[in-house]
Amino acid sequence: MNEILEIVLLSLFVSGTATVIAALIGIPSGIFLSISNFAGKKSVKRVIFTLMSLPPVVLGLIVLLIISNEGPLGGLNLLFTAKAIIIAQTLLILPIITGNIITSTEELSVKLIDTVKTLGGKKKDIIKLIMLETKPFIITAIILGFSRAISEVGAVILVGGNIKGSTRVMTGYITLNTSMGNRNESLIMGGILLVIAFIVNSLLERYRYENN
Amino acid sequence: MKITNLSVRFPNIEMKFTDYEFQSGVTMITGRNGTGKTTLLRALAGLTDYSGTIINSKTMTYVAQEPVLFNRTVYENIIYSLEIRKLEIDDEKIKYLAEKLSLETLLKRNALKLSGGEKIKVSIIRGIMFNPDILLLDEPTTHMDLESIDELIKVIKELKKEMDIYIISHNKSFIDAVMEHEYSLGDRNV
Ligand SMILES: Nc1ncnc2c1ncn2[C@@H]1O[C@H](COP(=O)(O)OP(=O)(O)OP(=O)(O)O)[C@@H](O)[C@H]1O
Ligand SMILES: [Mg+2]
Repeated sequence: MNEILEIVLLSLFVSGTATVIAALIGIPSGIFLSISNFAGKKSVKRVIFTLMSLPPVVLGLIVLLIISNEGPLGGLNLLFTAKAIIIAQTLLILPIITGNIITSTEELSVKLIDTVKTLGGKKKDIIKLIMLETKPFIITAIILGFSRAISEVGAVILVGGNIKGSTRVMTGYITLNTSMGNRNESLIMGGILLVIAFIVNSLLERYRYENN
Repeated sequence: MKITNLSVRFPNIEMKFTDYEFQSGVTMITGRNGTGKTTLLRALAGLTDYSGTIINSKTMTYVAQEPVLFNRTVYENIIYSLEIRKLEIDDEKIKYLAEKLSLETLLKRNALKLSGGEKIKVSIIRGIMFNPDILLLDEPTTHMDLESIDELIKVIKELKKEMDIYIISHNKSFIDAVMEHEYSLGDRNV
């Protein structure tokens, strides 16, 4: 039981950290890309939308190559640590958070800018209003990112190594126990993951509802 | 307000507007679909890039055909322009205008849940709260029932004492009821 608790806490910590980092970068980038006009904006958006559907195993492989001993960041000894998993999950959900913010807020933000301008608002009023009015969409994007991070298997095992006591998260535990024939252990952990998914989705529904 | 050599260019179309000097009072802007009426009002309001000149030193507000209200109560929408200017809120004026447009029971409702006609009425009151010199209305009668149009006509007749009003409309009886000047874009713009 102790082992299960440790794994759940590690999973929540790793995916929570990845979500916070991705949100800190993704929210301002997403809002900026929604409201600004610059040459090359279309290409940047296209890259983000493509990265949203990048196969996680491919992403895991790239991170692995970068942080392995021969890679450019080899000296940092990140391979098979929790930090490596955080890096992989952050990179995995950053485009998901940013892209979701762009698709859900772009049209509204442009209209809000016009509306505030015509009411005599300044730049600071525009930014404040956009933050307030798009909040439900931003929270939705963050929750989507978190649930994507915590349910990832392939990339996590590639860069983390699924090592007991240090890098084994919930999905890795399920994978391992299933392959060893320990159905019960897998089912218990699967149930916990399901409960977390349920809680996360309830939050999502609440914000969707508030938004309509 | 005066426009000379005004033109607006979009990727597939360029619209040129005949020179015009707007007079005080109510000016109707008329013309077929796609002649550039909305584009003209948006250019006047500073929401669209243009070439040529718009000579104007007055403040104005633009009420769009499909206005964007904020996710808060109707009352909070109405006071927005005062809030950002940190100006005092004239509740008497809000109550008066809301009654004139049959909105008095809606002030505490969430603005996003209003009907199309109600949204336009709220947007008009929100626009004039900071006493702009010019009010620009883009097809305000679109979603309105006959009673609402009559209410709007009365409100416009009162408001025009305090501000100039330029209105786009296709509604013949509404145009006849409020028009003092006309700027016609005709059948087609090149
Ligand atoms: N943002 C835009 N990008 C490209 N073309 C545009 C844009 N806005 C308007 N147009 C084009 O400019 C022309 C004039 O549009 P506008 O909306 O000003 O017409 P309108 O006179 O208001 O028509 P209606 O009576 O149907 O409201 C149309 O051909 C329209 O397709
Ligand atoms: Mg129009």
